[in-house]
Amino acid sequence: MYQYDKFDHTFVAERVAHYRAQTLRYLDGKLSEDEFLQLRLRNGLYVQRLAPMLRVAVPYGTLSSDQLRMLAAIARKYDRGYGHLSTRQNMQYNWPELAEVPDILEDLASVEMHAIQTSGNCIRNVTTDEFSGAALDESVDVRPYCEILRQWSTSHPEFDWLPRKFKIAVTGATEDRAAITVHDIGIRAHRDDQDQIVFDIFVGGGLGRTPVVGVLMISGLPVEHLLTYVEAIMRVYNRFGRRDNKYRARIKILVRALTADGFRDRIDEEWMHLKSGPSTLTQDEVDRMRLHFTPPKFDTLPDFTDALAQQRLAEPEFSRWVKHNVTPHKAPGYAVVTLSTKVTGIPPGDVSDEQMDCVADWAEAWSFSELRISHEQNFVIPHVAQNKLLELWGAARAAGMGASNKGLLTDIICCPGGDYCSLANAKSIPVAESIQRRFDDYDYQHDLHELDINISGCMNACGHHHVGHIGILGVDKKGAEFYQISLGGHSGHSGIGATLGQIVGPSFARRDVNDVINKIFDVYLANRTQEEHFLNCFKRIGLEPFKESIYASSD
Amino acid sequence: MPVLIKQTNQTQGEWSVAPLDQPKWQSSDTWSKGTPLILQVDEEPASEYVEASAIAIEFPAFIDGRGLSLAVLLRSRFDFTGELRAVGAVHEDILHYMVRCGFDSFELGDDRDADIALAQIAPYSDHYQASVVNPEPAFRRVNRGHNA
Repeated sequence: MYQYDKFDHTFVAERVAHYRAQTLRYLDGKLSEDEFLQLRLRNGLYVQRLAPMLRVAVPYGTLSSDQLRMLAAIARKYDRGYGHLSTRQNMQYNWPELAEVPDILEDLASVEMHAIQTSGNCIRNVTTDEFSGAALDESVDVRPYCEILRQWSTSHPEFDWLPRKFKIAVTGATEDRAAITVHDIGIRAHRDDQDQIVFDIFVGGGLGRTPVVGVLMISGLPVEHLLTYVEAIMRVYNRFGRRDNKYRARIKILVRALTADGFRDRIDEEWMHLKSGPSTLTQDEVDRMRLHFTPPKFDTLPDFTDALAQQRLAEPEFSRWVKHNVTPHKAPGYAVVTLSTKVTGIPPGDVSDEQMDCVADWAEAWSFSELRISHEQNFVIPHVAQNKLLELWGAARAAGMGASNKGLLTDIICCPGGDYCSLANAKSIPVAESIQRRFDDYDYQHDLHELDINISGCMNACGHHHVGHIGILGVDKKGAEFYQISLGGHSGHSGIGATLGQIVGPSFARRDVNDVINKIFDVYLANRTQEEHFLNCFKRIGLEPFKESIYASSD
Repeated sequence: MPVLIKQTNQTQGEWSVAPLDQPKWQSSDTWSKGTPLILQVDEEPASEYVEASAIAIEFPAFIDGRGLSLAVLLRSRFDFTGELRAVGAVHEDILHYMVRCGFDSFELGDDRDADIALAQIAPYSDHYQASVVNPEPAFRRVNRGHNA
């Protein structure tokens, strides 16, 4: 894991002091509401429907046990004993006091954390594959490059006042768990035929009001040019991105206006001046960053395959959990564990302080004190010896985190929605809960195979509804909450870029959503070939059969 | 009264508050070499601008970052070395970004407090990335050995 040096400690301490002074000036009447808004946003503080919301950065979703214990302590001390895992791998608190935020930031700084640039029109926290450094299908551990980008983008003099927010995602595995093509910049790291690490850079993807899949700007970019190339993109965007209409201000709109080739020409023109300049990465810097992410000292473990099979036979519930929530690890005898937060009755992503402490303890005992937050709003314990899985499962189950539903229909991605968020048009958490209640039966869920349901309470698409196999979007119809349903989206996998879902038709009242979902399942079950997953079935039969069933008149 | 915040000693990073002077700023279509030039944030920089006696960039809103990029281009691509002034919506909390993008004077509106502004010029002792005032990024300047 990355560990701060003196430089980082000094910077973050100065950032806390700076923000404290800004807060005091606001409380003192020296800054207006609108002025302070811009400053607090750059430190992750929103003012929401019920209270301020503080978004803490979890850089590329990686945490240590000590850091998670601090997040638990903050939840106890400054909040109501829980936090929320966001779809961008961050931690959010829903009830902090505005005046206490500087103290929270100081506590965070003590464990090398911050809330810098987690909101506002600036470069946000870089996200990545939650299985980085552990996944079997990974060719490059991208965390060193994520950290390089984090440092470069922190308080950048030129790019902190962009036309709109800016999100970068990076992946280095075959399966794109970071959904890079629905980000403003998506970076795919791989090895070229000389075994050198290179990057393919996608630009202009995004969800929100105008969902677009990003386009490839350059392929095979050598590591040393990463920052200068990104700088060229940012300068073109900062200068030419629209600022007259916030709904037309994301980079995807600029890419569309200039066309992909036109945009690439602009970048190349800019990059010509920057390439091989002082921001070119040095081998020393890359090596320094890689050293921070050397793999833990894995033990040489005896083969546990047979014993695990025995354990699974003896305990069917454990077997289900292994099937869904345990992923192959690159080190022999190890496994990657996903701890689901998706328990019926609890908003997706919400975790209590006690649960955070438990997860921190398990990571310390069984995963070299390392853990992750996934964009599906679950915890990941990345390096667990297979012979400890049963013990971990037992502990997780006792703490309410042992659900065997990763990737299944109840593993719903969901934004905070109208219960908390002042931007939302409709509530999303009760919709998720109601679906979880209705389709709780494990055998039924299992029969449906992998199925992503993503719910957003508004066009901003924090719940990534465009890339859900089933996407649900809250809309406002003359003051009433309605839900628009789309089918066939996915966030990119196995080398295939993301696909955006297709809207089935007119939206539904909340009370009808479950019945509509049920009809969708029925059409799938009636039409699928053996073992065919929902997404493939949808691709084969198209939208029409679903539409017919959903809108068939009942008489 | 609007005031001018101006760098008085570049090497020691000294700044002072002065009464506002009023150069006869010319827009790019009427400007001639040797006179002060005022640019809007959406204008293209040009190589002949290095011969301006001073350049002002007018910020339409304090959250508009285009003027920052324009300043960087004038300083680092066209090597403009004269006075570069931020005018218009100049907010004290943006000063530290502006300084690092190459501005060396600021016209401060009469709704702003010059003392507060002076205190906001350099809230940080160092930064990670390259800038106009420090063209080398930290990784080229600072020994940051593993856990140093």
